[in-house]
Amino acid sequence: MSAVIVLRQMLKERTKSTIWWSAAFIVLTVAIGASYPTVREQASALDAFMESMDEGFLEMFGAADGSIASPVGFWNSNFYANLFPILLLVLGIGMAAWSIAGAEREGTLEPLLANPVRRSRVALGRYVGHAIVLAVVTAISTAVLIAFRGPWDYTEISVTEFVAAGVASLLLALLFTTITYAIGAATGRKGAAIAGGAGIAVATFVIFALAAFVEFFANLRWFSPWYWFLEPSPLADGWTWRSIGLPLLIIIPVMIIGTVWFTRRDLR
Amino acid sequence: MTSPVIDIRALTKRFGSLTAVESLDLAVQPGEIYGLLGPNGAGKTTTIRCLLGFLNPSGGSVSLFGGDPRDPDVRRRVGYVGGDVTLDRHLKVRDLLKWYGDLRGGVPWARAEALCERLTLDPTRKIGELSTGNRRKVAVIQALMHDPDVLVLDEATGGLDPLLQRTVLRMVQDRCADGTAVLWSSHLLPEVENIADRVGILRLGELIREDSMANLRAEARQRLELRFADDLPPGFLDGVAGTSEVQVDGRIAHVVVDGSVAALVKHIADREVERIVSHDDDLEDIFFQYYGEERENQ
Repeated sequence: MSAVIVLRQMLKERTKSTIWWSAAFIVLTVAIGASYPTVREQASALDAFMESMDEGFLEMFGAADGSIASPVGFWNSNFYANLFPILLLVLGIGMAAWSIAGAEREGTLEPLLANPVRRSRVALGRYVGHAIVLAVVTAISTAVLIAFRGPWDYTEISVTEFVAAGVASLLLALLFTTITYAIGAATGRKGAAIAGGAGIAVATFVIFALAAFVEFFANLRWFSPWYWFLEPSPLADGWTWRSIGLPLLIIIPVMIIGTVWFTRRDLR
Repeated sequence: MTSPVIDIRALTKRFGSLTAVESLDLAVQPGEIYGLLGPNGAGKTTTIRCLLGFLNPSGGSVSLFGGDPRDPDVRRRVGYVGGDVTLDRHLKVRDLLKWYGDLRGGVPWARAEALCERLTLDPTRKIGELSTGNRRKVAVIQALMHDPDVLVLDEATGGLDPLLQRTVLRMVQDRCADGTAVLWSSHLLPEVENIADRVGILRLGELIREDSMANLRAEARQRLELRFADDLPPGFLDGVAGTSEVQVDGRIAHVVVDGSVAALVKHIADREVERIVSHDDDLEDIFFQYYGEERENQ
């Protein structure tokens, strides 16, 4: 029950910012989607241009099927391979770093923990809270994408595939925000938490991006959650083990380790 | 004798090579106000943070009501005001108090509202917009609103004006009269001397003196200024029991008394005394004596 009270309070405090973030995601999604009919009209010219480029670039932009004018190629290269998960990470890493380490640094965690509530309940309430906010903005963006399938002419991608891509995006973001949360919970250091979560996100993106060009990184690409997310793309293949199962294999134990560590250490 | 509400046994807390608290024994009974005194850095806050389960002891043990301070059932009976009050700045006072009230099993809003009124605090204001003193009031209210059985107060009235300090002291005394045990940490003796039953003095993490206020007062030297209606005859105050220094200037006498003034009062009873002024700072001398030793040791 106390975890629910902590969760409810967090969501209450985040309502306004979640509305603003949701509005930003809607504007972003609509702005990109509205350009698709024009891109599709120029498909042959764009495909000819892309053929002249190294295949690695196509992979890096999530357009491994060879066309950035196809619905899958367009949405991967303009949305799922970059802007969407990066914005989710900006939102999520901030919340995850604040949930324990940020609150501890600003001094609000100690008075909260003086109440009859276990540390684990506070931690889990706030972890679930940040996941819910991320899920809400992901769901809203996915709903917008689904709503405009007909008007903007990308019905080749099914509703299920968009939902699968949305869930995979959420899990990709959660993987890095969970690392942020866990480092913050275990150390009480907000800077280390942000550096850890964002740093691993950037490092694994670099591995994924360079894997198409450099053999050394190609051998490492299995370590990159971005590779699990985009190869193969859920937009084309729907629910894939790599994009759903592998992130969960990381998220759950990392979250548990961070929480347990937090319950045992000294507050700073 | 009832079992202590606060029971600290051989508590030691180290941070790396620094020993913040060393083998500390301390117990507070129901209905007792214990003043934990010491200069900044003496280990008071570390002791309290161990007591509330924010820090893990390096050695020894702490317990509240005989249980683990982290147990929610134990915590439900605790009120705590931290030394460095930081409450969620973006929340309104009312929202924070209701949230904490929910965590404590549902404190009636009327109860919190009554405390706000008593401390003249507007609950509709955002905490971030409040002055330091008003934020302190919020901290005091959240600690008292659920009628705790133990109060742990770390520099609780810092930042409050004297009138409000007195109000808070009275509120704490009221709780104490209902059987609440109080551990009041301060680096200022005057903050606790009028309400504490016992005090402990911490120095460099060690409890170097623990005694009742009555004993400390008996030990304290008092400087009295006595104004008589007429000039005093020579030697009138010489040899009075308890007096250690006497200076007479016409009808005014400056007297230093060790402990009780009973003999002196009896001695001057037959003369017309117009005014007695007590310079009551000598109780503090005892503490300054310990603090001074610390500085010398450092």
